[in-house]
Amino acid sequence: MPQMGVSVAEGTVVEWRKQRGDWVEADETICEISTDKIDTEVPSPASGRLIEVLVQVGATVDVGTTLARIATDARPGEPHSSEVDRPAAPTRAPAAAPPGAAGAAGAAGAAPPPVRAPAARGAAARRYSPVVQRIADEHGVDLDEVEGSGRDGRVQKKDVMAYVQARGGAAAPPSDEPTMHIESPYRPGAGASLSGPYVPPEGRPLSRMRQSIGEHMKRSQETAATCTTWIEVDVSRIEIARRQLGITALPLIARCTIGALVEYPLLNAWLKGDVHTVHEQVNLGIAVALGEDGLIVPVVRSAQDLSPEGLSRRIRDLARRARARQLSPDDVRGATFTITNPGQFGSMMATPVIAQPQVAILDVEAIVKRPVVVTDAFGEDAIAIRPMVILGLSWDHRALDGALAARFLASVKKRVESYEA
Amino acid sequence: MTEMTYLRAISDGLRTEMREDDRVLLMGEDIGVYGGAFKVTDGFIEEFGADRVMDTPLAESGIVGTAVGAAVVGLRPVCEMQFADFVSCGFDQIVNVAGKMLYRQGLPVNITVRLPSGGGFSGGPFHSQNPEAWFMHSPGLKVVAPSTAEDAKGLIIASIRDPNPVIYMEHKNLYRRVKGEVPEGSYETPFKARVAREGDDLVVITYGAMVHTALEATADLDGASVMVLDLRSLVPLDEDAILRAVHHCSKVVVVDEANQTCAAGAQVSALIAERAFEDLDGPVLRVASPDAPIPFSPPLEAAVLPSVERVREACRQLLEY
Repeated sequence: MPQMGVSVAEGTVVEWRKQRGDWVEADETICEISTDKIDTEVPSPASGRLIEVLVQVGATVDVGTTLARIATDARPGEPHSSEVDRPAAPTRAPAAAPPGAAGAAGAAGAAPPPVRAPAARGAAARRYSPVVQRIADEHGVDLDEVEGSGRDGRVQKKDVMAYVQARGGAAAPPSDEPTMHIESPYRPGAGASLSGPYVPPEGRPLSRMRQSIGEHMKRSQETAATCTTWIEVDVSRIEIARRQLGITALPLIARCTIGALVEYPLLNAWLKGDVHTVHEQVNLGIAVALGEDGLIVPVVRSAQDLSPEGLSRRIRDLARRARARQLSPDDVRGATFTITNPGQFGSMMATPVIAQPQVAILDVEAIVKRPVVVTDAFGEDAIAIRPMVILGLSWDHRALDGALAARFLASVKKRVESYEA
Repeated sequence: MTEMTYLRAISDGLRTEMREDDRVLLMGEDIGVYGGAFKVTDGFIEEFGADRVMDTPLAESGIVGTAVGAAVVGLRPVCEMQFADFVSCGFDQIVNVAGKMLYRQGLPVNITVRLPSGGGFSGGPFHSQNPEAWFMHSPGLKVVAPSTAEDAKGLIIASIRDPNPVIYMEHKNLYRRVKGEVPEGSYETPFKARVAREGDDLVVITYGAMVHTALEATADLDGASVMVLDLRSLVPLDEDAILRAVHHCSKVVVVDEANQTCAAGAQVSALIAERAFEDLDGPVLRVASPDAPIPFSPPLEAAVLPSVERVREACRQLLEY
């Protein structure tokens, strides 16, 4: 069980991608594990044949525990050593043990260096260009079956494209069904169920991510005395700065929020039982939606030291890694305040749930152009069209009171409305 | 629309912008009374006067240095180097003074430096060079290189209006050889690449005079469909357009007229290696001048500069790969 971050002590095996007897390449995913923070894939530390799975799916073990054994003297295509009637003494490298342990085992066994599997069968192994390999991967093409038209029979991009096209045509013949209008109630093959009794589809257990989100949200609602306060903010200056800097509004609003957190550190705090910790450093959690799977909240550390461009870069990087499921547990730990930003879909208001043990969370909703009353330099009122946003702050009434929440929001508003790029 | 040569299009752009903006002035050797070594500014001194069309001493450092000072107080000078080769005398003023002024003092230096560049007419080693890469390597400068009459006008106007120092590479061999329809009045050509010809099997990425070499070399290449991408701007480099073209075609030939080592095409090739590896269906091939001075002798010069034949051969080689 690899160490997936400084504070992670154990992990659960979720799925074995390789079974006993399978050939595995170095760095190929051998299994998936889940920790209390994230799910991740475990790459194989060596090439060889998986000869023993020591930790079954669902079992939780300490970091450093050997998960499986790989015979590094095996060859691809050969029968499994246990199937051969000869006194074999396969050298065994523990799979996915800490690097130190793997090195020690290798040295102690005086193992020959692991032999890389040849790229293809036999001596006539073909080499493929990056684009050909990518297209083959995307379409599940076995490149051995593709005729090459390039020099010395090399498979070119156009060869694999032609192969995919030819195969696609055969695999999915054009349907005889005329295209239906989207509103049409008729669906092919649905005739029988129209009159029959409704049979609900079989239920399935919630994903681990959903279960984990549910547990955190429920615990927060049972723990905190959550109230929500809203403020309406004119983001004209943010819109201008956003275009100048070529970034989104989020890092600019985040920058203003961080300024307000430094002014009102009581909101940049944790409350654990009756222990109240007020932070000087702002570790800003940013909620990242992962489609329908759920969401994750990676943390921008020492956000008070970052410019809007710096924040933008860090948020983009974290979001990208979150969507690629490449966050480490340290990336999602230790937030002192959280921003959630579901407004991209046009929603106007929400009552977000505080991420424990923080004491507040800011919700940034859609920026919408609205007629508002503005006062010009001569004190005259006029109606103007301005980009407006509603900021919602959910706060814990155990840690602070409504007046402070309102003053904090007013500080964010002032910073946003007087923003100078 | 009027049909005019590349050279007349540059004149037209300069004249249009000088009429619209009285902050624009020209400086250079023999650009006034004589009308410029190539007659780009012929008739300008009569229209705009000697205050705005200044004949300068033979001192490129002085021309650029004076222009930097004029730009700092709010003017928009356009400097002509008589030949791009002579810009080396003004190098320090461009690279260290103009290029770093905004960073050091927060002052924009709105100058344009015109560099008549390139070979192909037996100009010899001091009158044929393509020194654009010197400036690409130096932060704070923009570098553009039009290949058509329309872009020559649009890019000179865009360069004058851009608040940064812009090195404007105008290819001497295109001056009177290339003609095209040029829009009337004022317009800016964006600092972005242009697809000179659409294609699917291979892309030739180039700029300046080599765009025409590439178009000729691939016009009829055994029925292959060849895209030609004209970069137009080297700094900023239109990375998106390059990566899109590579994604579409997967085979790439990069052509420079400049000496091969560290030329603009080297940067393009490095970008492709870093960011488009999984789109490649073959090695990125480069065609450029070898790392040698440009010879005076016509047959030797023809052997050094990238020819239609050399570009065609590289494309064939890669198409068959």
